[in-house]
Amino acid sequence: MKSIRTFLTVVILATITLMVFLSELQGFRLNLAAAEKLFDKQLADTAHLLSATYSPVTDNNPQITETEFFGFQIWIDDQLKLRSSRMPDELIANLEQGYQEHNFGKHRWRTYSYFDELKNVWILTAQRTDVRYTLAENIVIKSILPALIILPLGGLLIWTIVGYGVSPLQRLSDQLRRKQADDFSPLPIEKQPVELTQVVKSTNDLLSRLKASFQREKHFSADAAHELRTPISVLKVHLHNLNKKFPADDRNFQQVVTATERMGHLIEQILLLNRTSPDQFITKFISIDLYKLAQEVIAREYPQFEKKDLKIELNGEHCLIEGDQFALETMLKNLLENACKYTPDDGNILVSVKAEMQADENASQKVVKLEIQDSGPGVPEDQYGRLFDRFYRLDGDRHASGTTGSGLGLAIVRHIADLHKATIKLTKSSFDSGLSVTVIFPFYHANPLQVKKHHV
Amino acid sequence: MQILLVEDDLSLAEGLQQALEHEGFVVNHVTHGKGAIHVVETEPPDILILDLGLPDIDGLDVLANLRKSRNETQIMLLTARDSLQDKVSGLDQGADDYLAKPFEMSELLARLRVLERRISTSISNTITIQNISLDTNSLNVSINDQAIDLSRREYMLLKVLMQNAGRIMTRDRLESQLYNWGDEVSSNAVEVHIHHLRKKLPPEFIKTVRGVGYKVDSQKSS
Repeated sequence: MKSIRTFLTVVILATITLMVFLSELQGFRLNLAAAEKLFDKQLADTAHLLSATYSPVTDNNPQITETEFFGFQIWIDDQLKLRSSRMPDELIANLEQGYQEHNFGKHRWRTYSYFDELKNVWILTAQRTDVRYTLAENIVIKSILPALIILPLGGLLIWTIVGYGVSPLQRLSDQLRRKQADDFSPLPIEKQPVELTQVVKSTNDLLSRLKASFQREKHFSADAAHELRTPISVLKVHLHNLNKKFPADDRNFQQVVTATERMGHLIEQILLLNRTSPDQFITKFISIDLYKLAQEVIAREYPQFEKKDLKIELNGEHCLIEGDQFALETMLKNLLENACKYTPDDGNILVSVKAEMQADENASQKVVKLEIQDSGPGVPEDQYGRLFDRFYRLDGDRHASGTTGSGLGLAIVRHIADLHKATIKLTKSSFDSGLSVTVIFPFYHANPLQVKKHHV
Repeated sequence: MQILLVEDDLSLAEGLQQALEHEGFVVNHVTHGKGAIHVVETEPPDILILDLGLPDIDGLDVLANLRKSRNETQIMLLTARDSLQDKVSGLDQGADDYLAKPFEMSELLARLRVLERRISTSISNTITIQNISLDTNSLNVSINDQAIDLSRREYMLLKVLMQNAGRIMTRDRLESQLYNWGDEVSSNAVEVHIHHLRKKLPPEFIKTVRGVGYKVDSQKSS
């Protein structure tokens, strides 16, 4: 059912039409019967009038107006004494008192036979049945016609009334549609009609339960983070202290250090993935300068590039996009970490942020492109698609310096890109080898909140 | 340099204490927020390392309490909460730095050194990195005790970089430190000043990360 309003209007209108039709049909029948009676009486009256005025002695012509639909015969002892001009010479009806129907002169007639005992005369009157029906029908149609004209008007009225009747439903659906993803406030219950009260009550109930479980979920993330992060910190600190007691090349010790780092990384990424998956992630988008954000994140992550003597460069221009700062920072951090991980020492990483016109098949639109290129070994093109799968690691992740990935970094990047309606493109980097990851964001069109610099 | 460590996880506290003492800090440890407030009020440390999730009162309340009484101790938050909201409210309430768990020991030490430098600058007014000294009181800069001549903006740039030695300062941030909002800034103003500064300082003292910003290495890592 597409619309309750349309459905109700059609059904009510159809019901009313049917009822009007049935009652008209009944009326038609009654009217027809009444008309027949009237016509029959007219036939009989004419016969009586004829008998009263006709005298067999003078054989005078009675004053009856003749039409093609009406005729009479006067018989005395099997002899036709008188007839109207269009009547045949034979008997038009049996000589029996009362009404009969007969065919003659190509038409069907209703006849009335009357025997005047005083004068010993048979008077036969006849009227064409089709005329009778036509007349009767005329009467009936005139009584039906107003109903037919009124139907469309009635339809319009029903449409309006039904619309008014279902307007609380419309209002409710509007209220629900306008709700933000994180708005769990209850719907107002006072102005609702009785039928909707329960719906609204149940919806409010559902909303409050949803809110509770949402908060539980959020708290769980925070609690889990705390519970897992502290022991990892403990491990790291104690390993740091142990570091001085072991020779630098102690393999067992180094394995423990590596495993701890790996575990810490995995926990972080799982928490991030949980927090940034669309159903968990409630965004309050603000306009963000992606170039400036890239600057900040690169500055913050610089120690890890320095450690490997990587040359990192940022170019491009200030570009505004609409987004969530935490999520975008995470995206940049993951992409940079990835580039860093797979690029051998003394390699290059090139980051660029620029606004561009991108030609679509039908229109060109402005986009903001974030591109991160590395001079690592690159990724075979046939693996591009799988790169963003959770826990997928390229060739068991045996690149560079025994890199330990969680296999979640790029899955998180893709989640965040989805949240920002951004697309990700993988290509070969412009270095001799390596991967280029481009995230293409829709351009933010609102007026940039730039601080006007005054000329003094 | 005295550090008060407020951390309810005993194993973490023990490890941290050991590591920090190895670096030459004097470390005291309490597990509760109320205890921390008491110690800071009676025997203020130079640096307070504060965990946010404490058994009695929240770390942020401890922070608010201390800042209300105009305590000058440098406060470093150390916590498993890492949402932007937590960071912002922590820094808004007067924390000097913020580090999320799990952290790298080297990063904690680097940040503690920044706090340390801040404290020593406020006492002696002098920051010294390699053979370069910057006196925030007399505004003098010297190389091997030989005074050099810097313009006001060059001095301000160098001061920011030296105060934050070991960390990259982004170009945008440097620009906002040098100029007011109303100032007319040419797009390469920071580059021009850095260029002039470099001529007067030993080469490689200020490092460039193209498109990102500039950095002065702190003593330890060089």
